[in-house]
Amino acid sequence: MGEDGTRLDISTFLLSSIHDMKNSMGVMAAYLQDALALDHTPGAPAATENGAREKTTQALYEAQRVTDHLIQLLAIYKIDQAFYPFDPQDHALTDLARETLARVADLARIKHIELDCDCGDDTYGWFDYELVFGVVVQALHNALRYARGRVMLRIQPHESGVRIRVEDDGPGYPDFLLAQGNGLNRGISFETGGTGLGLYFAGVVAGMHKGAGRTGALRLENGGPLGGGCFMLELP
Amino acid sequence: MQHLPTPDLSDNSFLIIEDYEGMRGILRDLLARAGATRVSFAANAQAAMPLLERNTYDAILCDLHLGQGLNGQQILEEARHRQLLAPHTVWLMVSAEKTAEMVTGTVESRPDDYLVKPITETLLFTRLTRQMARKLALAPIEQAMRDREYLKALNLTEALLGQANPHAWDLKRLKADLALHTGNHAHAREVYLEALGQRDLPWAHLGLAKIHYLEGQFDDARRELELVTRGNRAYLEAHDWLARTLDRLGDLEGAQAVLGRALTTSPHAPLRQGQLGEIAYRRGELDMAADAFRRQVELARHTPLKSAEPYLWLSRANLARGNRDDALRALSELSIDMREDATARLLARAMEIPVRLRAGERDRAQALAAELAEDLKTQVHELPDEAILDLAMPLMDLGDKDTAATLLTSLVGNNHEHPEMLERAKAVFARAGLAEEGDELVARATRAAVESMNQGVKLAREGKLDEAIEFTREARARMPNNPRLLLNHAFLLIAWMEQYGRDVRVALEARSCIEAARRLKPGEKRAGELLTKLELVGNDFDG
Repeated sequence: MGEDGTRLDISTFLLSSIHDMKNSMGVMAAYLQDALALDHTPGAPAATENGAREKTTQALYEAQRVTDHLIQLLAIYKIDQAFYPFDPQDHALTDLARETLARVADLARIKHIELDCDCGDDTYGWFDYELVFGVVVQALHNALRYARGRVMLRIQPHESGVRIRVEDDGPGYPDFLLAQGNGLNRGISFETGGTGLGLYFAGVVAGMHKGAGRTGALRLENGGPLGGGCFMLELP
Repeated sequence: MQHLPTPDLSDNSFLIIEDYEGMRGILRDLLARAGATRVSFAANAQAAMPLLERNTYDAILCDLHLGQGLNGQQILEEARHRQLLAPHTVWLMVSAEKTAEMVTGTVESRPDDYLVKPITETLLFTRLTRQMARKLALAPIEQAMRDREYLKALNLTEALLGQANPHAWDLKRLKADLALHTGNHAHAREVYLEALGQRDLPWAHLGLAKIHYLEGQFDDARRELELVTRGNRAYLEAHDWLARTLDRLGDLEGAQAVLGRALTTSPHAPLRQGQLGEIAYRRGELDMAADAFRRQVELARHTPLKSAEPYLWLSRANLARGNRDDALRALSELSIDMREDATARLLARAMEIPVRLRAGERDRAQALAAELAEDLKTQVHELPDEAILDLAMPLMDLGDKDTAATLLTSLVGNNHEHPEMLERAKAVFARAGLAEEGDELVARATRAAVESMNQGVKLAREGKLDEAIEFTREARARMPNNPRLLLNHAFLLIAWMEQYGRDVRVALEARSCIEAARRLKPGEKRAGELLTKLELVGNDFDG
């Protein structure tokens, strides 16, 4: 592209810009994390009273959300162009639970939302780690946004695969989302301000996981143990 | 789920290879939280290599992108190639995103795991503890493989598979690869098929394809490989095998396209560039060939993959497209880059002969030929086949029939089962108007090779094992690059040890024959089988 004298098209710039923005957002998130860590340092003046801590955490959350979106965009592009290094392997389910929860723990704390997890030790699942990690973090962020006081992550072996559920005690998904079901069919929603990227991404990730004659599936439900929305990803 | 306790890393040693100082600090601080005090740093390959040479680390955290010089991937490959890593050493590649090389490259090029930024404490500690435990569990197998005790490695793998453990898929893959390596295709096939029954695993498809390929079932190999490559061009190793397979099926255009695709995904692979160059050369696409060989030369220049071949091909491609200056430049680069290698130096000078001759500088060619004739004859066994064919015709043209005949006799002796090579040798004589003489030379050299094989077998059958070995040993000196002869000789040496007991020197001689044969004819099933026999001679394995 470009080097051999052919014309650069807009997608080249979009792609390199996304890369660049992603890296910048990553640096910004790291600074915000540093700022929060400084606040923990004994002897340092606490920023908690004036709400700076909360604001910083929220800024961190926004930075991470944008980073996650950009990563998803890049992944979708690569999947579409058939060069995403799809690499399903056996992973400990507790690793996935720990690493995703660690990503959202700060945000849950400042929002006073109790974050619970149900995941058995010594259980394994077969999936592409980065893709599924992205889907679960996204679902957790979403749940934290709507939850009143509790979010629950359940990761369990299911038949020969894995079932991941993210439940909250919020108002639940709106009817049109439930009706649309699989995220692959979903278009851009101007009503909610969402881009539809998250669900679309989750749908693509579900569809890429195939095994034992089955394909991964995505489901949205309301109700459940916590009474709010429930995001479910099943991988064969 | 238990909360992850902070691991105790106070007994472990680490190397952090990272060009960005801020990131070095972050990684050091994270490790310090787990009590790690033995942490070394390197900002680039130049600083990392001496550390890797002198020390053994339990884990290495290496950034993929290191600015100038070798990248993390190349450092890993060199460290593995030179066996600078202990069997239990964990290599974690740190990167801003997942790349095809880290994930779907060959076993030699894949890190143990990769950490996609941002690196958090949880991410680092879960991956580090898991990979350290995994490598420790598999270290005895790795050690056996390094000692080239493949049966022992296979037994250790089976034993571990018998216990419940989290590394079952690693072990299955190892088991199949070891079976393949020791020539037990049926066993390997069984493991791959069983794995595919449970999961759609690219490595199992690739394994089956390799077996088809090695058994000459190229259509089946292609079908299996296309299952992997069709969906995704990130599976690089499968692309390389598909190109090789299409080549064997006569579809050079297809092979070139497949390599082109893989190189778009991952352009920094010298061997793949070379593969593309040869195919383009054979298709007559000389510009593309020259470009590919140029890239191969540049990519391999500062790595252990450096060899004379790409320079020779670059010179050849440039000569073929009538570019005398670039053809000579490639040779002079060869003599500089590989000045410590006597054969490379000889080749760099000798290959000037066809270039000068073609450019009309006959006197210069004549003088070179006269000067190098003796060296070419004495070092004939070190010369690559293609170089011999490049040299024979000009030598003949310059009137040195004697040297040309010596080179071609060696070529035929080493390739007596290769009809194409025999034809090309004859063609050299035919072009010089000496067709009859050429036919005679080829017939004589072929006969000598076949008789050497038969005589060795005959003597062994008559129970004259020592005589048989003397005979094949002498034949090997004349035809050191003939795979069948090498394997026959190894077979006799092993038979001798089965009769008289294991002997270190005999075992070493047998091993060097098998390994040479394997280099000449990769994946030869009989080589794997002999390796197994060699390992069993005088060894008692438990279980």
